[in-house]
Amino acid sequence: MIELINTSKNFDSFKVLDSINLTIPKGVTFGLLGSNGAGKSTILRLLCGIYKADGGSVTIDGESIFNNPKVKEKVFFINDETIQFANFTLKELKNFYKGFYPNFSEELFEKLRKTINLPLDKKTNAFSKGMKRQAIVIIALACQTEYLLLDEAFDGLDPTMRIIVKRMLVDAMLDRELTTIISSHNLKEINEVCDSVALLHQGKIVFNRDLDSVKSNIHKVQVVFPQINENLPQSYTEKEFPNLDILHFEQNQSVYHIIIRGNEEEIREKFKSKKPLVLDIIPLSLEEIFIYEMEVLGYDFKGIDN
Amino acid sequence: MFDIDLMSRTPIYEQLYNKIVELIIKGVLTENSQLPSIRALAKELGVNPNTVVKAYNQLENDGIIYSLTGRGSFIARVTDSTIKRSMFAQFDECVLKAIQTGISKNELIERINKVEIS
Repeated sequence: MIELINTSKNFDSFKVLDSINLTIPKGVTFGLLGSNGAGKSTILRLLCGIYKADGGSVTIDGESIFNNPKVKEKVFFINDETIQFANFTLKELKNFYKGFYPNFSEELFEKLRKTINLPLDKKTNAFSKGMKRQAIVIIALACQTEYLLLDEAFDGLDPTMRIIVKRMLVDAMLDRELTTIISSHNLKEINEVCDSVALLHQGKIVFNRDLDSVKSNIHKVQVVFPQINENLPQSYTEKEFPNLDILHFEQNQSVYHIIIRGNEEEIREKFKSKKPLVLDIIPLSLEEIFIYEMEVLGYDFKGIDN
Repeated sequence: MFDIDLMSRTPIYEQLYNKIVELIIKGVLTENSQLPSIRALAKELGVNPNTVVKAYNQLENDGIIYSLTGRGSFIARVTDSTIKRSMFAQFDECVLKAIQTGISKNELIERINKVEIS
Protein backbone atom coordinates (compact mmCIF):
# COMPACT_ATOMS: atom_id res chain seq x y z
CA MET A 1 0.00 0.00 0.00
CA ILE A 2 1.16 3.49 -0.84
CA GLU A 3 0.47 6.33 1.53
CA LEU A 4 1.06 10.03 1.21
CA ILE A 5 0.17 11.90 4.36
CA ASN A 6 0.15 15.69 4.34
CA THR A 7 2.83 15.54 1.71
CA SER A 8 4.22 18.82 0.40
CA LYS A 9 6.89 19.60 -2.12
CA ASN A 10 8.28 22.99 -3.07
CA PHE A 11 10.68 24.06 -5.74
CA ASP A 12 12.14 27.30 -4.41
CA SER A 13 9.11 29.35 -3.47
CA PHE A 14 6.84 27.43 -5.83
CA LYS A 15 4.51 25.08 -4.01
CA VAL A 16 4.09 22.10 -6.32
CA LEU A 17 2.29 19.81 -3.88
CA ASP A 18 0.27 21.29 -1.07
CA SER A 19 -0.41 18.88 1.83
CA ILE A 20 -1.65 15.98 -0.22
CA ASN A 21 -3.28 12.90 1.29
CA LEU A 22 -3.47 9.86 -0.93
CA THR A 23 -3.78 6.14 -0.25
CA ILE A 24 -3.36 3.56 -2.98
CA PRO A 25 -4.15 -0.03 -1.99
CA LYS A 26 -2.26 -3.04 -3.36
CA GLY A 27 -3.26 -4.61 -6.63
CA VAL A 28 -5.10 -1.68 -8.16
CA THR A 29 -4.35 0.33 -11.25
CA PHE A 30 -4.47 3.95 -10.27
CA GLY A 31 -4.70 6.90 -12.64
CA LEU A 32 -3.31 10.36 -11.94
CA LEU A 33 -5.06 13.04 -13.96
CA GLY A 34 -4.56 16.75 -13.93
CA SER A 35 -3.79 19.94 -15.73
CA ASN A 36 -0.26 20.61 -16.91
CA GLY A 37 1.91 21.41 -13.94
CA ALA A 38 -0.64 20.01 -11.46
CA GLY A 39 1.98 17.88 -9.71
CA LYS A 40 1.45 14.43 -11.26
CA SER A 41 5.09 13.78 -12.10
CA THR A 42 6.17 15.20 -8.76
CA ILE A 43 4.00 12.61 -6.97
CA LEU A 44 5.54 9.82 -9.03
CA ARG A 45 9.05 11.09 -8.32
CA LEU A 46 8.29 11.21 -4.59
CA LEU A 47 6.97 7.66 -4.79
CA CYS A 48 10.20 6.28 -6.19
CA GLY A 49 12.47 8.27 -3.92
CA ILE A 50 13.94 10.65 -6.48
CA TYR A 51 12.54 13.63 -4.58
CA LYS A 52 12.42 14.10 -0.83
CA ALA A 53 9.17 15.50 0.50
CA ASP A 54 9.43 18.91 2.17
CA GLY A 55 6.59 18.11 4.51
CA GLY A 56 4.55 15.05 5.50
CA SER A 57 5.43 11.48 4.66
CA VAL A 58 5.66 9.14 1.68
CA THR A 59 5.53 5.47 2.60
CA ILE A 60 5.31 2.20 0.73
CA ASP A 61 4.06 -0.76 2.76
CA GLY A 62 4.55 1.35 5.85
CA GLU A 63 8.17 2.31 5.20
CA SER A 64 9.59 5.58 3.98
CA ILE A 65 11.10 5.26 0.52
CA PHE A 66 13.59 8.12 0.46
CA ASN A 67 17.16 6.79 0.79
CA ASN A 68 15.79 3.33 1.48
CA PRO A 69 17.11 0.79 -1.05
CA LYS A 70 15.10 -2.09 0.43
CA VAL A 71 11.86 -0.28 -0.42
CA LYS A 72 13.15 1.02 -3.73
CA GLU A 73 13.55 -2.59 -4.88
CA LYS A 74 9.77 -2.81 -4.86
CA VAL A 75 9.25 0.12 -7.20
CA PHE A 76 10.03 0.68 -10.85
CA PHE A 77 9.59 4.13 -12.33
CA ILE A 78 9.23 4.74 -16.04
CA ASN A 79 10.12 8.34 -16.63
CA ASP A 80 8.37 10.35 -19.30
CA GLU A 81 11.76 11.40 -20.61
CA THR A 82 13.28 8.55 -22.54
CA ILE A 83 16.87 9.77 -22.63
CA GLN A 84 18.50 7.31 -20.28
CA PHE A 85 22.04 6.04 -20.66
CA ALA A 86 21.96 6.49 -24.41
CA ASN A 87 25.40 4.98 -24.78
CA PHE A 88 24.26 1.62 -23.47
CA THR A 89 23.08 -1.25 -25.61
CA LEU A 90 19.80 -2.86 -24.58
CA LYS A 91 21.81 -5.71 -23.04
CA GLU A 92 23.91 -3.31 -20.96
CA LEU A 93 20.87 -1.37 -19.92
CA LYS A 94 19.14 -4.56 -18.85
CA ASN A 95 22.19 -5.68 -16.85
CA PHE A 96 22.37 -2.28 -15.20
CA TYR A 97 18.81 -2.52 -13.90
CA LYS A 98 19.20 -6.20 -13.07
CA GLY A 99 21.80 -5.18 -10.51
CA PHE A 100 19.20 -3.22 -8.55
CA TYR A 101 16.22 -5.53 -8.79
CA PRO A 102 16.69 -8.99 -7.24
CA ASN A 103 13.46 -10.35 -8.75
CA PHE A 104 14.66 -9.70 -12.31
CA SER A 105 13.66 -12.49 -14.67
CA GLU A 106 15.91 -13.13 -17.68
CA GLU A 107 13.33 -15.53 -19.01
CA LEU A 108 10.54 -12.95 -18.97
CA PHE A 109 12.86 -10.33 -20.46
CA GLU A 110 13.78 -12.57 -23.39
CA LYS A 111 10.16 -13.53 -23.94
CA LEU A 112 9.07 -9.89 -24.06
CA ARG A 113 12.04 -8.81 -26.15
CA LYS A 114 11.33 -11.46 -28.75
CA THR A 115 7.66 -10.49 -28.90
CA ILE A 116 8.58 -7.00 -30.01
CA ASN A 117 11.81 -7.88 -31.82
CA LEU A 118 14.09 -5.36 -30.14
CA PRO A 119 17.83 -5.71 -30.96
CA LEU A 120 19.98 -6.61 -27.97
CA ASP A 121 23.37 -5.31 -29.12
CA LYS A 122 22.49 -1.96 -30.67
CA LYS A 123 23.13 1.19 -28.69
CA THR A 124 19.88 2.63 -27.49
CA ASN A 125 20.75 6.07 -28.87
CA ALA A 126 20.17 4.51 -32.29
CA PHE A 127 16.64 3.64 -31.14
CA SER A 128 13.61 5.70 -32.06
CA LYS A 129 11.66 7.37 -29.26
CA GLY A 130 9.08 4.59 -29.32
CA MET A 131 11.75 1.87 -29.26
CA LYS A 132 13.46 3.49 -26.26
CA ARG A 133 10.12 3.42 -24.53
CA GLN A 134 9.63 -0.22 -25.45
CA ALA A 135 13.08 -1.05 -24.11
CA ILE A 136 12.42 0.48 -20.73
CA VAL A 137 8.92 -1.02 -20.51
CA ILE A 138 10.14 -4.58 -21.05
CA ILE A 139 12.98 -4.06 -18.57
CA ALA A 140 10.46 -2.72 -16.06
CA LEU A 141 8.16 -5.71 -16.44
CA ALA A 142 11.08 -8.14 -16.23
CA CYS A 143 12.15 -6.54 -12.94
CA GLN A 144 8.89 -7.91 -11.48
CA THR A 145 8.48 -5.20 -8.91
CA GLU A 146 5.38 -4.89 -6.76
CA TYR A 147 4.81 -1.33 -7.86
CA LEU A 148 5.09 0.14 -11.32
CA LEU A 149 4.97 3.88 -11.93
CA LEU A 150 4.29 5.06 -15.45
CA ASP A 151 4.69 8.71 -16.25
CA GLU A 152 2.81 9.64 -19.43
CA ALA A 153 2.63 5.93 -19.79
CA PHE A 154 1.50 5.08 -23.23
CA ASP A 155 2.45 8.22 -25.03
CA GLY A 156 5.35 7.05 -27.16
CA LEU A 157 3.91 3.65 -27.96
CA ASP A 158 2.16 2.53 -31.12
CA PRO A 159 -1.29 0.90 -30.89
CA THR A 160 0.08 -2.65 -31.13
CA MET A 161 2.61 -1.99 -28.40
CA ARG A 162 -0.13 -0.48 -26.24
CA ILE A 163 -2.14 -3.67 -26.46
CA ILE A 164 0.99 -5.74 -25.70
CA VAL A 165 1.78 -3.62 -22.65
CA LYS A 166 -1.82 -3.76 -21.42
CA ARG A 167 -1.85 -7.54 -21.74
CA MET A 168 1.44 -7.78 -19.89
CA LEU A 169 -0.04 -5.64 -17.14
CA VAL A 170 -3.10 -7.91 -16.89
CA ASP A 171 -0.80 -10.90 -16.34
CA ALA A 172 1.28 -9.06 -13.77
CA MET A 173 -1.83 -7.96 -11.89
CA LEU A 174 -3.27 -11.46 -11.73
CA ASP A 175 0.01 -13.30 -11.12
CA ARG A 176 1.65 -11.07 -8.55
CA GLU A 177 -0.83 -8.40 -7.56
CA LEU A 178 1.05 -5.64 -9.32
CA THR A 179 0.06 -2.12 -8.35
CA THR A 180 0.33 0.34 -11.21
CA ILE A 181 0.17 4.09 -11.06
CA ILE A 182 -0.30 5.81 -14.36
CA SER A 183 -0.22 9.49 -15.14
CA SER A 184 -1.68 10.38 -18.48
CA HIS A 185 -3.59 12.90 -20.48
CA ASN A 186 -5.07 10.12 -22.53
CA LEU A 187 -8.36 9.75 -20.70
CA LYS A 188 -9.59 6.96 -22.94
CA GLU A 189 -6.69 4.84 -21.83
CA ILE A 190 -7.18 5.74 -18.17
CA ASN A 191 -10.83 4.76 -18.51
CA GLU A 192 -9.89 1.34 -19.83
CA VAL A 193 -7.18 0.35 -17.43
CA CYS A 194 -7.75 2.11 -14.12
CA ASP A 195 -9.75 1.10 -11.05
CA SER A 196 -9.42 4.47 -9.35
CA VAL A 197 -8.40 7.94 -10.35
CA ALA A 198 -7.30 11.12 -8.64
CA LEU A 199 -7.69 14.50 -10.27
CA LEU A 200 -5.01 17.04 -9.37
CA HIS A 201 -5.00 20.76 -9.84
CA GLN A 202 -2.40 23.23 -8.65
CA GLY A 203 -0.84 20.84 -6.19
CA LYS A 204 -4.10 19.74 -4.59
CA ILE A 205 -6.34 16.73 -5.06
CA VAL A 206 -9.73 17.66 -6.49
CA PHE A 207 -11.16 14.17 -6.10
CA ASN A 208 -9.89 10.69 -5.53
CA ARG A 209 -12.24 7.74 -5.94
CA ASP A 210 -13.00 4.65 -7.91
CA LEU A 211 -13.70 5.22 -11.55
CA ASP A 212 -17.24 3.84 -11.62
CA SER A 213 -18.35 6.07 -8.76
CA VAL A 214 -16.72 9.08 -10.43
CA LYS A 215 -18.88 8.37 -13.44
CA SER A 216 -22.07 7.69 -11.53
CA ASN A 217 -21.76 10.88 -9.51
CA ILE A 218 -21.86 13.42 -12.31
CA HIS A 219 -24.45 13.77 -15.04
CA LYS A 220 -25.38 15.80 -18.03
CA VAL A 221 -29.04 16.77 -17.90
CA GLN A 222 -30.88 17.83 -21.01
CA VAL A 223 -34.19 19.29 -20.04
CA VAL A 224 -37.07 21.17 -21.65
CA PHE A 225 -39.65 22.94 -19.49
CA PRO A 226 -43.26 23.62 -20.43
CA GLN A 227 -44.04 27.13 -21.67
CA ILE A 228 -46.27 29.26 -19.48
CA ASN A 229 -47.96 30.74 -22.49
CA GLU A 230 -47.41 30.55 -26.20
CA ASN A 231 -45.54 33.80 -26.65
CA LEU A 232 -43.49 33.77 -23.55
CA PRO A 233 -41.03 30.91 -23.11
CA GLN A 234 -40.29 30.46 -19.48
CA SER A 235 -36.66 31.10 -18.79
CA TYR A 236 -34.76 29.57 -15.93
CA THR A 237 -31.42 30.51 -14.52
CA GLU A 238 -29.01 28.59 -12.35
CA LYS A 239 -30.44 30.33 -9.26
CA GLU A 240 -33.76 28.58 -9.62
CA PHE A 241 -32.18 25.25 -8.74
CA PRO A 242 -30.60 25.99 -5.37
CA ASN A 243 -30.75 22.37 -4.22
CA LEU A 244 -28.64 21.06 -7.10
CA ASP A 245 -24.86 20.98 -7.27
CA ILE A 246 -24.51 22.60 -10.68
CA LEU A 247 -21.13 22.71 -12.45
CA HIS A 248 -22.23 24.11 -15.74
CA PHE A 249 -25.43 25.73 -16.97
CA GLU A 250 -26.26 26.45 -20.55
CA GLN A 251 -29.41 27.27 -22.46
CA ASN A 252 -29.82 26.65 -26.15
CA GLN A 253 -33.24 27.88 -27.27
CA SER A 254 -35.73 25.81 -25.30
CA VAL A 255 -33.25 23.12 -24.26
CA TYR A 256 -31.16 23.43 -21.12
CA HIS A 257 -27.87 21.59 -20.82
CA ILE A 258 -26.90 21.33 -17.19
CA ILE A 259 -23.97 19.47 -15.66
CA ILE A 260 -24.86 18.34 -12.15
CA ARG A 261 -23.08 16.43 -9.42
CA GLY A 262 -25.16 13.79 -7.69
CA ASN A 263 -26.76 10.47 -8.42
CA GLU A 264 -29.28 10.00 -11.18
CA GLU A 265 -32.34 9.24 -9.06
CA GLU A 266 -31.88 12.28 -6.83
CA ILE A 267 -31.44 14.57 -9.81
CA ARG A 268 -34.53 13.16 -11.50
CA GLU A 269 -36.52 13.62 -8.29
CA LYS A 270 -35.47 17.25 -7.92
CA PHE A 271 -36.59 18.17 -11.42
CA LYS A 272 -40.03 16.62 -11.00
CA SER A 273 -41.66 19.68 -9.43
CA LYS A 274 -40.86 21.75 -12.54
CA LYS A 275 -42.75 19.20 -14.67
CA PRO A 276 -40.20 18.96 -17.49
CA LEU A 277 -41.42 17.95 -20.94
CA VAL A 278 -38.13 16.24 -21.64
CA LEU A 279 -35.66 15.10 -19.06
CA ASP A 280 -32.64 13.15 -20.25
CA ILE A 281 -29.96 12.28 -17.78
CA ILE A 282 -26.77 11.08 -19.45
CA PRO A 283 -23.53 9.96 -17.84
CA LEU A 284 -20.40 11.90 -18.82
CA SER A 285 -17.26 10.60 -20.42
CA LEU A 286 -14.10 10.93 -18.36
CA GLU A 287 -12.94 13.64 -20.71
CA GLU A 288 -16.07 15.72 -20.06
CA ILE A 289 -15.75 15.17 -16.32
CA PHE A 290 -12.19 16.47 -16.49
CA ILE A 291 -13.21 19.58 -18.42
CA TYR A 292 -16.20 20.48 -16.23
CA GLU A 293 -14.42 19.81 -12.93
CA MET A 294 -11.57 22.01 -14.12
CA GLU A 295 -13.98 24.70 -15.29
CA VAL A 296 -15.32 25.01 -11.75
CA LEU A 297 -11.76 25.63 -10.59
CA GLY A 298 -11.38 28.42 -13.12
CA TYR A 299 -9.25 26.40 -15.50
CA ASP A 300 -11.03 26.54 -18.82
CA PHE A 301 -10.97 27.78 -22.36
CA LYS A 302 -13.37 30.68 -21.90
CA GLY A 303 -11.91 33.83 -23.34
CA ILE A 304 -10.39 31.92 -26.21
CA ASP A 305 -12.33 32.68 -29.34
CA ASN A 306 -13.68 29.68 -31.07
CA MET B 1 -17.95 -11.86 -29.28
CA PHE B 2 -17.66 -9.71 -26.17
CA ASP B 3 -16.98 -6.55 -28.08
CA ILE B 4 -17.63 -3.48 -25.97
CA ASP B 5 -17.43 0.19 -26.74
CA LEU B 6 -14.50 1.64 -24.86
CA MET B 7 -15.54 5.15 -25.83
CA SER B 8 -19.05 4.72 -24.44
CA ARG B 9 -20.21 6.63 -21.39
CA THR B 10 -21.59 3.46 -19.82
CA PRO B 11 -19.13 1.87 -17.38
CA ILE B 12 -17.23 -1.03 -18.92
CA TYR B 13 -18.35 -3.59 -16.31
CA GLU B 14 -21.98 -2.66 -16.97
CA GLN B 15 -21.52 -3.07 -20.71
CA LEU B 16 -19.96 -6.44 -20.11
CA TYR B 17 -22.85 -7.47 -17.87
CA ASN B 18 -25.42 -6.42 -20.46
CA LYS B 19 -23.49 -8.09 -23.26
CA ILE B 20 -23.45 -11.44 -21.50
CA VAL B 21 -27.19 -11.23 -20.71
CA GLU B 22 -27.82 -10.34 -24.34
CA LEU B 23 -25.80 -13.33 -25.56
CA ILE B 24 -27.77 -15.62 -23.24
CA ILE B 25 -31.09 -14.30 -24.49
CA LYS B 26 -30.00 -14.71 -28.09
CA GLY B 27 -29.07 -18.28 -27.32
CA VAL B 28 -25.37 -17.82 -28.09
CA LEU B 29 -24.40 -18.70 -24.54
CA THR B 30 -26.31 -21.71 -23.27
CA GLU B 31 -26.75 -23.30 -19.87
CA ASN B 32 -23.52 -24.67 -18.37
CA SER B 33 -21.35 -23.25 -21.14
CA GLN B 34 -18.13 -21.78 -19.86
CA LEU B 35 -17.31 -18.09 -19.91
CA PRO B 36 -13.78 -16.96 -20.80
CA SER B 37 -11.43 -16.72 -17.83
CA ILE B 38 -10.94 -13.32 -16.27
CA ARG B 39 -7.42 -13.21 -17.63
CA ALA B 40 -8.42 -14.13 -21.17
CA LEU B 41 -11.27 -11.65 -21.30
CA ALA B 42 -9.28 -8.79 -19.78
CA LYS B 43 -6.50 -9.40 -22.30
CA GLU B 44 -8.89 -9.69 -25.22
CA LEU B 45 -10.56 -6.41 -24.38
CA GLY B 46 -7.44 -4.66 -23.10
CA VAL B 47 -9.14 -3.72 -19.85
CA ASN B 48 -8.38 -4.00 -16.17
CA PRO B 49 -8.99 -7.55 -14.86
CA ASN B 50 -10.77 -6.06 -11.83
CA THR B 51 -13.41 -4.72 -14.21
CA VAL B 52 -14.10 -8.21 -15.50
CA VAL B 53 -14.20 -9.50 -11.91
CA LYS B 54 -16.77 -6.85 -11.09
CA ALA B 55 -19.02 -7.82 -14.00
CA TYR B 56 -18.74 -11.55 -13.21
CA ASN B 57 -19.45 -10.96 -9.51
CA GLN B 58 -22.56 -9.03 -10.32
CA LEU B 59 -23.74 -11.69 -12.76
CA GLU B 60 -23.17 -14.31 -10.09
CA ASN B 61 -25.06 -12.31 -7.47
CA ASP B 62 -27.97 -12.05 -9.86
CA GLY B 63 -27.90 -15.80 -10.43
CA ILE B 64 -27.06 -15.51 -14.10
CA ILE B 65 -23.75 -17.32 -13.87
CA TYR B 66 -22.15 -19.62 -11.32
CA SER B 67 -18.50 -20.29 -10.63
CA LEU B 68 -16.64 -23.41 -9.62
CA THR B 69 -13.44 -22.85 -7.70
CA GLY B 70 -10.46 -23.44 -9.93
CA ARG B 71 -12.57 -24.22 -12.96
CA GLY B 72 -14.06 -20.92 -13.99
CA SER B 73 -17.46 -19.36 -14.54
CA PHE B 74 -20.43 -20.96 -16.24
CA ILE B 75 -23.85 -19.90 -17.42
CA ALA B 76 -26.48 -20.83 -14.88
CA ARG B 77 -29.80 -22.27 -15.84
CA VAL B 78 -31.41 -19.57 -17.89
CA THR B 79 -34.54 -18.90 -15.96
CA ASP B 80 -37.55 -17.07 -17.20
CA SER B 81 -36.92 -14.47 -14.54
CA THR B 82 -33.50 -13.62 -15.99
CA ILE B 83 -34.97 -13.07 -19.40
CA LYS B 84 -37.97 -11.25 -18.02
CA ARG B 85 -35.85 -8.94 -15.94
CA SER B 86 -33.74 -7.94 -18.91
CA MET B 87 -36.73 -7.55 -21.22
CA PHE B 88 -38.65 -5.48 -18.70
CA ALA B 89 -35.65 -3.25 -18.14
CA GLN B 90 -35.53 -2.49 -21.84
CA PHE B 91 -39.30 -2.11 -21.99
CA ASP B 92 -39.38 0.32 -19.06
CA GLU B 93 -36.74 2.44 -20.70
CA CYS B 94 -38.74 2.67 -23.93
CA VAL B 95 -41.96 3.46 -22.09
CA LEU B 96 -40.27 6.20 -20.12
CA LYS B 97 -38.89 7.76 -23.27
CA ALA B 98 -42.25 7.51 -24.99
CA ILE B 99 -44.03 9.19 -22.10
CA GLN B 100 -41.41 11.95 -22.04
CA THR B 101 -41.99 12.62 -25.71
CA GLY B 102 -45.68 13.05 -24.97
CA ILE B 103 -47.20 9.71 -25.96
CA SER B 104 -50.09 8.85 -23.66
CA LYS B 105 -50.46 5.66 -21.68
CA ASN B 106 -53.54 4.70 -23.62
CA GLU B 107 -51.72 5.04 -26.90
CA LEU B 108 -49.02 2.72 -25.58
CA ILE B 109 -51.57 0.15 -24.44
CA GLU B 110 -53.26 0.30 -27.82
CA ARG B 111 -49.90 -0.21 -29.42
CA ILE B 112 -49.16 -3.30 -27.34
CA ASN B 113 -52.48 -4.81 -28.32
CA LYS B 114 -51.77 -4.08 -31.96
CA VAL B 115 -48.31 -5.65 -31.86
CA GLU B 116 -49.78 -8.73 -30.25
CA ILE B 117 -52.36 -9.21 -32.97
CA SER B 118 -49.98 -8.77 -35.88
